[in-house]
Amino acid sequence: METGIVMTVANLIRGILMLILGNEFIVSVIMKLIGIGAMIGVISFAAILFTYTERKVCAFIQVRLGPNRVGPRGLLQPIADMLKLMSKEDIIPYGVDRVVWALAPMVLFVPSALAYAFFPFDDGAIFADVNVGIFLLIAISSQSVLTFLMAGVASNSKYGMIGAMRAVATSLSYEAPMVFSLLGIVMITGSLRMSDIVAAQQNTVWFIVLQPIAFLIYLTTCFAETNRTPFDFVECESEIVAGAFTEYSGMRWALFFLAEYANLLSISVLTTTFFLGGWSGPILPGFVWFWLKTIFMLMIFLWIRWTFPRVRIDQMMSFGWKVLLPLALVNVLFTGVGIYINRFM
Amino acid sequence: MNEFETNEQPRTETYVLNMGPQHPSTHGVLRVELELDGERVIKVRPIMGYLHRGIEKLMESRTYFQCSPYTDRLDYISSMNNNYGYCKAVEELCGIEPPPRANYIRAICAELNRLSSHMVYIGSLANDVGAVTGMLYTFRDREDILDIFDLLCGARQTCNYIRIGGVAQDIPAGFDEKVRKFLDRVPDFLKEYSDLLESNEIFQIRLKDVSVMTAQEAMDCGMTGPNLRATGVPFDVRKVDGYGAYPDFDFDVPTGEHGDNWDRYEVRYKEMFESAKIIRQALDGMPEGDYMAKVPKMLRPPKGEVFSRTEGTRGELGFYIVSDGTNKPYRVHIRRPSFVSMQGLNPMCRGGLIGDAIAAFASIDPLMGEVDC
Amino acid sequence: MKNYIDASLLDVLKGKFPTIEYDTEAKEPAVYVPADVLLAFMAFVKTNDKFLFDRLENVTAVDYKTYFEMVYHLFAWNQSPIDAEIERKNEYENMWLTVKVKIDNHDAPAVPSVTSVFPSAEYEEREVYDLMGITFTGHPDLRRILLADDFTGHPLRKDYKEIAPPYTPRVRREGGKIIYE
Repeated sequence: METGIVMTVANLIRGILMLILGNEFIVSVIMKLIGIGAMIGVISFAAILFTYTERKVCAFIQVRLGPNRVGPRGLLQPIADMLKLMSKEDIIPYGVDRVVWALAPMVLFVPSALAYAFFPFDDGAIFADVNVGIFLLIAISSQSVLTFLMAGVASNSKYGMIGAMRAVATSLSYEAPMVFSLLGIVMITGSLRMSDIVAAQQNTVWFIVLQPIAFLIYLTTCFAETNRTPFDFVECESEIVAGAFTEYSGMRWALFFLAEYANLLSISVLTTTFFLGGWSGPILPGFVWFWLKTIFMLMIFLWIRWTFPRVRIDQMMSFGWKVLLPLALVNVLFTGVGIYINRFM
Repeated sequence: MNEFETNEQPRTETYVLNMGPQHPSTHGVLRVELELDGERVIKVRPIMGYLHRGIEKLMESRTYFQCSPYTDRLDYISSMNNNYGYCKAVEELCGIEPPPRANYIRAICAELNRLSSHMVYIGSLANDVGAVTGMLYTFRDREDILDIFDLLCGARQTCNYIRIGGVAQDIPAGFDEKVRKFLDRVPDFLKEYSDLLESNEIFQIRLKDVSVMTAQEAMDCGMTGPNLRATGVPFDVRKVDGYGAYPDFDFDVPTGEHGDNWDRYEVRYKEMFESAKIIRQALDGMPEGDYMAKVPKMLRPPKGEVFSRTEGTRGELGFYIVSDGTNKPYRVHIRRPSFVSMQGLNPMCRGGLIGDAIAAFASIDPLMGEVDC
Repeated sequence: MKNYIDASLLDVLKGKFPTIEYDTEAKEPAVYVPADVLLAFMAFVKTNDKFLFDRLENVTAVDYKTYFEMVYHLFAWNQSPIDAEIERKNEYENMWLTVKVKIDNHDAPAVPSVTSVFPSAEYEEREVYDLMGITFTGHPDLRRILLADDFTGHPLRKDYKEIAPPYTPRVRREGGKIIYE
């Protein structure tokens, strides 16, 4: 069996631990803990790094300089931001449903972080390679809408309420085409397991070639899923101030912010895995390929985020139900026909 | 029987959303009471006055010369046009005829300011429909105009350059080249805006066929300027009255067809080309001579009154001045175009969504300094 | 440049509304209309095809200490969309008309609202009501527009006295003692 760099390192640690401890069960528990630690490290590091990246890229698009005061080329800006946000007063507005309100930013982080368990970072480097991978992933990531609802409804603000309702509407209309667009891949692969999907692309071609329509549909729904322009209804600044987060400040607001970046990263990772062949690639190790593709996807997301206007809520809904969903269904049909023909050839 | 079981039908009711005075897209400090049914707007009630400084009252206790800087603070992103309007009114009251050179310089300043104001318009409209980047591009190019004003009079925004009887000083050396260099760039950056915004499908569907006004509706709301022209009425005070040096220039009055947000945007976009055309003609035909007419140090206009209007950047800017023969105006009334245009907000937003209301609000281009006076 | 309505047309108005007054000698006479015929007068000059003053450019009021004057500036534009319907295009020049209403009652000034003829006057009349204190009868929504609803007085009146701000003592701390001045 081929193994990537990450797995080699993991096996090395496992071997050393086995030498020291000698007990299989304890070593596997420790290995799991190391994995969880690494995962959380990746999420927080990525989120911090992406705040900087987004600001720099956005500044580049907007003919500005971006952060350039704190540290060399403003590299320490995220840390300064973090310190500022943490030292802010914790304002609890009058009339909020305190428990739900305080819980929402913390709960929001859970689905974002949980999704990372299913990402194949490298050959074999996947935390939970379960046989219903995609299914679980979609189930978990769609939970994040609940926290927007919690935040919006609990904050006793009309802006928050509108934002929450918009989040639910967005989620309802974009979850369906997203799932159907991924169905084509599952049909070709014949498996819901994440590692199988990457392996299938390694053996043939990337799914972006076989499923170009599904790729476009998935990309579109991703914007709705991560609440970014052109579908940033949850917090569309010019209309409803900050939507569901209007009443949050300081560290609580920062958690929403971090979750947004964690979601952004997870969406880029998923696009890479589903359509760009995951960690597969020539010469370079799989881990490097994986991150190169992810960063490429991320840049596309940033590019669209900073050049597109926002669509209106009814336009977004009708686009989701009248264009994307039928298109995704047609894609499923054609994929089925293609597979059927392929069987006889 | 279940305690939740009742015979009552589920009922819905409207709610009121107070947008502003602190809101990211109210262009200052406007408060708008939106009566909403879900996302749909039922009624819009603009509540103004958060920036009311009583400029009309203040002017009553200042001399005619001292009043001029107050007009800068009305519409603070097109101060030249306000100065022009005020000075023209006082000149008509006193019978002062500004020299032709002054008229040409005034036309250049007013048109440059119109360009810069329309840039702010395009930028803030883009920002309000979600394209944040548009704003940065327009503000980048507006900087060039502000630099020209800086060269001209030392101030960037509140110029107070156009004075009663002419202009404060003659155009400095290097002004001509600087303006020409800027004019050469105008088609380039306008192309850039249209590439960034107009060619975007989303920008089009956000603006087209939204907040439609017919010509009659627009006139009933007292709309003037680009907002009226977007409905197809070619009413431009520069053409209708032909004041100052404007009869000497060859320019078109762009009009729209449907009176929707898109037309309001397009009219201003095309107007920017026309303004550039006027500036170029004014530079080419700049007459020699005085830049200031003979104006007494102590200006005492004869007893009487005047209503004088100019084409401001937001519509028809009128000054009504009553003189009682002293060196201070007895009464000044300013017909502020964006104040009157605010009447159009309710008919424009009614029946739309919150996003439409924001776009409509940005598309009539009100400036709170002018609305609240 | 500014073409005022000519004397022959003013005579037509005088014939129609005998109570109006204007200075026959002046070059640009303001037409003083009594408040009771104001609406009929406005409707006449707006719709009659001799006049077609379809643009109400400005509405304001002036306080002359003993009486108020409402001032309306009307403008007839020869390329107005209304003209196209009646086919009178280019036959007449653009012209101006100043209409004034003298309100003798300085304590409780009232004048009929012209919003039924010119809907565009709504906000300007509200502004006059707010700052000058003239009541407009028949106005659809007569509230203060610029000042706060609980504001007392009308600042643009000549006899307006600024209300002193409420007295708030200045507080100073001197060596642990708080001193109110």
